[in-house]
Amino acid sequence: MATPVVNNTNTDLEKVKSPSGFKIIVREFLKDKVALISLILFVGIVLYVYIYSLGLDTREVTRVDIFNQFREPGAEHWLGTDYGGRDVFNQLILGARNSLTIGIAITLITSIIGIALGLLAGYYGGWVDNVIMRTVDFVLVLPALMIIIVYVSIVPEFNVLKFIFIMSLFYWTSKCRLVRSKALAERELEYVAASKTLGTPDWKIMLFNVLPNLSSIIIVNMTLNLAGNIGIETSLTYLGFGLPENVPSLGTLISYSRNPEVMENKPWVWLPAAILILVLMLCINFIGNALKRAADARQRLG
Amino acid sequence: MLKFIIRRSLIAIPQLFLLSVLIFLLAQAMPGDALSGKFINSPNLDPAYQSELRDKLGLNDPWHEQYVRWIGNLVQGELGMSYVHNVKVETMLESRIANTFWLGLATLILTYLIAVPLGVIAGRLPDTNMDKFIVTYSYVSFSIPIFVFALIMLYIFGFTLDWFPTGGSVDVRTEPGSWDWYVSKLHHLLLPALSSALLATTSTIQYLRNEIIDTKLKDFVKTARAKGTPERKVYTRHIFRNSLLPVAAFLGYDIVYILSGSIFIEQIFSYPGLGQLFVDSIQQRDFAVVNVLVMLFGVLSILGTLLSDIILSIVDPRIRID
Amino acid sequence: MTFLKVENLKVYYPVRGGFFRRVIDHVKAVDDITFELKEGETYGLVGESGCGKTTTGRTIIGLNRPTAGKIFFNDIELTKLKRRDFYQYRKDIQMIFQDPYSSLNPRKRVLDIIAEPIRNFEKLSPNEEKTKVMDVLEKVGLSPESIYKYPHEFSGGQRQRIGIARALTLNPKLIIADEPVSALDVSVQAQVLNFMKDIQKEFNLTYLFISHDLGIIRHMCDRIGIMYRGRLVEEGTKDEIFEYPQHIYTKRLLSSIPQMNPEERIQHTAFRRKVNEEFKNNYDKYFDAEGKIFDLKPISETHSVALP
Repeated sequence: MATPVVNNTNTDLEKVKSPSGFKIIVREFLKDKVALISLILFVGIVLYVYIYSLGLDTREVTRVDIFNQFREPGAEHWLGTDYGGRDVFNQLILGARNSLTIGIAITLITSIIGIALGLLAGYYGGWVDNVIMRTVDFVLVLPALMIIIVYVSIVPEFNVLKFIFIMSLFYWTSKCRLVRSKALAERELEYVAASKTLGTPDWKIMLFNVLPNLSSIIIVNMTLNLAGNIGIETSLTYLGFGLPENVPSLGTLISYSRNPEVMENKPWVWLPAAILILVLMLCINFIGNALKRAADARQRLG
Repeated sequence: MLKFIIRRSLIAIPQLFLLSVLIFLLAQAMPGDALSGKFINSPNLDPAYQSELRDKLGLNDPWHEQYVRWIGNLVQGELGMSYVHNVKVETMLESRIANTFWLGLATLILTYLIAVPLGVIAGRLPDTNMDKFIVTYSYVSFSIPIFVFALIMLYIFGFTLDWFPTGGSVDVRTEPGSWDWYVSKLHHLLLPALSSALLATTSTIQYLRNEIIDTKLKDFVKTARAKGTPERKVYTRHIFRNSLLPVAAFLGYDIVYILSGSIFIEQIFSYPGLGQLFVDSIQQRDFAVVNVLVMLFGVLSILGTLLSDIILSIVDPRIRID
Repeated sequence: MTFLKVENLKVYYPVRGGFFRRVIDHVKAVDDITFELKEGETYGLVGESGCGKTTTGRTIIGLNRPTAGKIFFNDIELTKLKRRDFYQYRKDIQMIFQDPYSSLNPRKRVLDIIAEPIRNFEKLSPNEEKTKVMDVLEKVGLSPESIYKYPHEFSGGQRQRIGIARALTLNPKLIIADEPVSALDVSVQAQVLNFMKDIQKEFNLTYLFISHDLGIIRHMCDRIGIMYRGRLVEEGTKDEIFEYPQHIYTKRLLSSIPQMNPEERIQHTAFRRKVNEEFKNNYDKYFDAEGKIFDLKPISETHSVALP
């Protein structure tokens, strides 16, 4: 009865080697102080922004008050006011909320498109793969920013939904490529063949067998995408082709800096929004990289 | 090899065709047409005459005929008339193309000047503090939106420190062609190019770093060491030669990245290039110019990607796609 | 009634080349093979790697598409069935995979792994399902308490038992075992093989046993088919194949079994040399002008050889 003993030690060893996914992530964050601080900071900012904005009314915040123009930061407006006499801090909170919400919405939509098409392409291969990947190649070489800008400026009755739509149309491709390449490798594993022989239909294998095994890299990618999407949205809004005027974004505040006078002498109007974007982007990226290391055993710190 | 290049090039043809159709359809959806500019000075023109003119110009033909005519003109270099300024689009592009070209070139050079040494250092000394710093920088630079970074650069170095001019492509008081004129041009280029370059380094640094780390473990490097080749020579002769070449392949991708970034950079630094022209034209609803620019950027992006894919397939056969 | 009959099965893969990636040739993974399985027996498919034995197994269970040929199971032509019907009939055919590591989804608990076929074919309440899974687990010699464990908590041999348990849940009649022990430690191999023999009696199973290991084949199989380059070169009962091999390829395979007994080693070496010589000298006798293998011809009631 020597064999079972050997087996048991093997089992114990493997138990030690493979703790649960959540534990790995926690350990990774504890090892990486920057990521931990980023996580705390990010969660703090997000909670603060969403809770504080509950008490804000967009129309109230964006109402022009000409007598309060360009007040410097002080007790009453502690980030000052803009050219319309509107409180910068309140706009910052609303802008952050809108930018985050829209960034998340675009990330979710592009993820669903990218994952669905990537899974189909990788799982089936052949002509399905060919059609999807040639489409991806084409979308990737399109001058996306310019086409979005043109669309925004010519579409009738432009609104937030249309903005999310046009953004989602262009930014699903990287996720699709990623999921496809991983699914391609995954489908060669025998558990997929096993599921087929057990009579499991293809769609179930894709959704319940293959997809869960890709979840960690998808989550990492979504985190990094969120930063990217917020960046693109605020960039476009900065140029005046992003969110419509009734939905202030962080880009809106920064766009006031296109007036050199504001840029040079009234930095309190735009600088906080710029810094908030920087902080958010950095936090998301450090979190994303810690998750990435947790997902990839070779890169783990601890 | 040749087969791959030809096959990859053939993919670009349907891409170009689809791009042109897409832009043509966008153009159809845009308000205004080739006559809008002509009538701008005579708004009281008889509507009947207007429609007669439109007929004559073929603006009421079926769309596929219009498309063929449109693409024919584009290929022959006839880009049409600006709706707003009533001048040929070519004329409007001329000076701007040069400006964007120089800005792009300066950005590319700066990108490699920053990225290559950093990538080499990080790859040579992985897991040191220096390496950690460089890797962090490459992640950070990847995550910062270019317009925020450019704005802060402009605010600090342009407005606050006053080291660089805050707008334009050249000091208008200098004589074109003179030494001062060139110096002024370079002075205007430097800050926007640096802002763009500092963020464009990510892929080069990371690729170079990983490549060097991988190459170090290859057998031919071990052999070189075992033979007693001096450590410096191991790097210069064996490792860099193998790792640096693929970096050249990012040229095309970098061009595409820098071009799309130029829309923001030129706007922020009031630099009169194609990107700024695009934003201005959109704001003035000058869709004749907009169209040409989208087409131009699209073509450049297709060609840039093509270029990179081909170089990459030559220097790094692993990446060759079928 | 035939239990399983494979008739003129061909599985070709296109080879694309040239500028337009046209099909310029075919890889003939399985090239016109015919054989039959009787209920309750173990039929061994043997051959070197790449000879098409795995492809044959995977085609029978529907993982590969046949290029031509027919597969009958209980007198029903599987190759003619629509996808949906195919699932129903194929319930009775299950497979044990080679690699117990990649054939179990690492993210699923043992319960979910073994219950997968039940969920596809039977509507059971969660409790009934659990009872059934625990039941099967017990039968394959694993503790029923381990249903909430994950695959990585088991050893290779235990994992292969999980794979077998999964194949058994639907009470199949035919099990295709594709190199079921080649990924296991030699010490565990015998355990699993004997266990497979035990459950064969208990559940009245028929095995299509695919392996490159002649020792294992001899231990397990009643009848054996030798495959070479996508074709069957010889087919017969265990004794016929091992005692009276007719085809030169069969002889070569047999001569490659290492001899344990040191006294017979020299004798064995001489036998190998002889076989090798025969292979060189009499090549034309066994292969046609294009190097192709002839069709099988019966030389006795149970024994057939590919000779001209």
